[in-house]
Amino acid sequence: MTKENVQGAGEEEQQAQSKKALKKQQKEAEKAAKKAEKQAKLAAEQQEADEDDFAKDRYGICPMVQSQQKLDRALVRVQDLTPEKAEQQIWVRARIHTSRAKGKQCFLVLRHQQFTVQALLAVGDRASKQMVKFAANLTKESIIDVEAVVKKVEQKIESCSQQDVELHVERIFVISQSEARLPLQLEDAVRPEGEGDEEGRATVNQDTRLDNRVIDLRTTTSQAIFRLQSGVCQLFRDTLINKGFVEIQTPKIISAASEGGANVFTVSYFKTSAYLAQSPQLYKQMCICADFDKVFCVGPVFRAEDSNTHRHLTEFVGLDIEMAFNYHYHEVIDSITDTMVQIFKGLRDRLQTEIQTVNKQYPSEPFKFLEPTLRLEYKEAVAMLKAAGVEMGDEEDLSTPNEKLLGRLVKEKYDTDFYVLDKYPLAVRPFYTMPDPNNPKYSNSYDMFMRGEEILSGAQRIHDAQLLTERAMHHSIDLEKIKAYIDSFRYGAPPHAGGGIGLERVTMLYLGLHNVRQTSMFPRDPKRLTP
Amino acid sequence: MPMYKVKPVSPADIKIDLPTRMYKSPNIHAQGMNCGQHALQNGEVDPALKALEERQDEVLRRLYEIKATVDGLAKTVTTPDADLDASTLSRGPAESVFRGTADLDSLLGKDLGALRDIVINASPACPPLCLLVLHALLCQRYQVLSSVHVHSSVSAVPPPLLSCLGPRHIDSYARQRFQLGFTLIWKDVSELQMKFNTQSMCPIEGEANVARFLFRLLGGEPQDPVAATQMDCWIDTAVFQLSEGGSKERAAVLRSLNAALGRSEWLLGQEFSLADIVCACCVLRAGQTTSAPVNVQRWLKSCQNLGHFDCVYPLLQ
Repeated sequence: MTKENVQGAGEEEQQAQSKKALKKQQKEAEKAAKKAEKQAKLAAEQQEADEDDFAKDRYGICPMVQSQQKLDRALVRVQDLTPEKAEQQIWVRARIHTSRAKGKQCFLVLRHQQFTVQALLAVGDRASKQMVKFAANLTKESIIDVEAVVKKVEQKIESCSQQDVELHVERIFVISQSEARLPLQLEDAVRPEGEGDEEGRATVNQDTRLDNRVIDLRTTTSQAIFRLQSGVCQLFRDTLINKGFVEIQTPKIISAASEGGANVFTVSYFKTSAYLAQSPQLYKQMCICADFDKVFCVGPVFRAEDSNTHRHLTEFVGLDIEMAFNYHYHEVIDSITDTMVQIFKGLRDRLQTEIQTVNKQYPSEPFKFLEPTLRLEYKEAVAMLKAAGVEMGDEEDLSTPNEKLLGRLVKEKYDTDFYVLDKYPLAVRPFYTMPDPNNPKYSNSYDMFMRGEEILSGAQRIHDAQLLTERAMHHSIDLEKIKAYIDSFRYGAPPHAGGGIGLERVTMLYLGLHNVRQTSMFPRDPKRLTP
Repeated sequence: MPMYKVKPVSPADIKIDLPTRMYKSPNIHAQGMNCGQHALQNGEVDPALKALEERQDEVLRRLYEIKATVDGLAKTVTTPDADLDASTLSRGPAESVFRGTADLDSLLGKDLGALRDIVINASPACPPLCLLVLHALLCQRYQVLSSVHVHSSVSAVPPPLLSCLGPRHIDSYARQRFQLGFTLIWKDVSELQMKFNTQSMCPIEGEANVARFLFRLLGGEPQDPVAATQMDCWIDTAVFQLSEGGSKERAAVLRSLNAALGRSEWLLGQEFSLADIVCACCVLRAGQTTSAPVNVQRWLKSCQNLGHFDCVYPLLQ
């Protein structure tokens, strides 16, 4: 290379360098300019902020409540905010459902369980700009204490449960802040399925709900469902206690699987293993033989069935009844159906608000029933199904689609969602079912249906040790395993019958929901063990 | 000599190479031609054809016979018999409403081994009195399983309505022992409704129509068409003018009832019928029976004496 070239190259390099340098300088200049702008802005804002925050002590984040002091403050529930309290200054503790800032105003919707109320914070002589900004930036689901004046509104606030009033906020403090990113949005969780698809808005699918159950249970619908479930349990207890029943508690860790070992969970029990009870059947009957006459028990039931259906859980709450009768097992059926009717009436009369709340998200037909309950015989059911075109044998068990069809036929003719089917064929029932005295092919057993799905299976039990042994042998059951069971009938046993229902399934069918996991707080199925 | 002759389309002596692997079947054309030609030439008829002709004659003869019989019957039906006095037709020996035959299988469909349950949905605000009377009559004739239910659409029903079908049958736990079911459901309905077989029957609406249906189960309809029409006429009068009409219409009906009852013991003559049941129930429901005309009062007393109306009186408050 010649010197000139080198020089030329050098010059070029220099030029290039200077070009680069120029560019770099330009960039730096830009950056500096931007920074300066930002700083200027911040300074301006700071000025604004410092500019007379006269409401500084009327808002803020409270230190964590460690029981530092015992305030004698009465907190009013959102549910009690009605026009009667107009112009009163009260304190409310609720969650922030939504917050929306609009210029100098901030609209908050405060929520407590199923009830919501609108709260307004406007820049004025009581609230400063900073306070409104603070309120607008609060995260959803945070728990806050608000002191406000209750004001009547002329136009009803349709979107809230408390439609006739709104709160004008004076003071606002955060008791427990929520993280900004929620795993699911509550409005989405309450949106009806159809609406979500139509308007392109999100709904939350079941798995997400169940994974974040704590938040999902806060929705108005969930609150209503579980309050109704609590009502079912309460009415069950009350009705039976009034009929003279005694509540018993039966053991859930048992030594032998009574109804065939296929569907039980095994647990290790010190040096051996034991099983989790599939049903309190055995112990209910022992109580009857122990002269308690009428017993019921409410407790968990464990079924190790690998059924992934809309109506099966591996653990659920069983409401079981067992009763000694005088001469005919229909005395027991009448008692059980009367209990169910009292439960339905109680729900219809006392928990109508909860039923309406659930219907908003999950619309369904109201539950209809007859009093006294309709009782059909198995033969009539077979005749009805045959008339509708189903081909089945007289002693065949009802398949699930046939049960649903039968439910629809009964609904069409009698207009009831709840009925009893009596006198099932003996071949499809467990070994301890008492056979029909007039026809050995049938048995004194019954099933009860709600909305075409089975909720209770019951029968008159064999209370004679001899006959029980015969029937067990007929079903090829190992007598050694059920020796204790048979022995309990050797020392005088009254004739008795009973049945059991699943709390979650009854609630689901009463409300017309479609999946039992919606009515179980923390459901257990073959694929789910947490939360 | 045949009149028309068609030139042969193909010469008869064409040599056709038949495949040897297939089975041979006899040449039908050759045979037929022979046979036909033979017959034509001899003037004889093919025996098969003869048999067919004979059969045809036989069938035609039978058809003529049947036609003659039908014509004869038509004559006897359409022209009045010279011996029968037409003026006495209305009071002809109509079959007694409660001694007539009624076949449940033909009226209600084949018995599939299950209880045939008649479901009636009625509003507790206006109890169907004539249906209660008919229920009492049905119980006399058949084994009826009666039950009363209250639907969830109604919150409470006064006790007399719960026991309006009488005490529970002792065998009511065994539904199969009964021929007929009568299920009365007190429900919030605008009009009375009856359902029987939802697959093949639509629901029947209206107290009068259900009454007619139940009356047929008693073998009750008068065979005589004039009497049947009169019965329907009285039922419609009772339902539309007596129950639903104004006070003037009601007074008019009571007057015509009075006139009819002046001529005979019951509305249709000598026999008690559905017309008496429906009219009596409507009169009783309208109230003020003490101010009714004389014959009407006498007739109401006779109804009461029959005993079928006992279930109605407790509900008349």
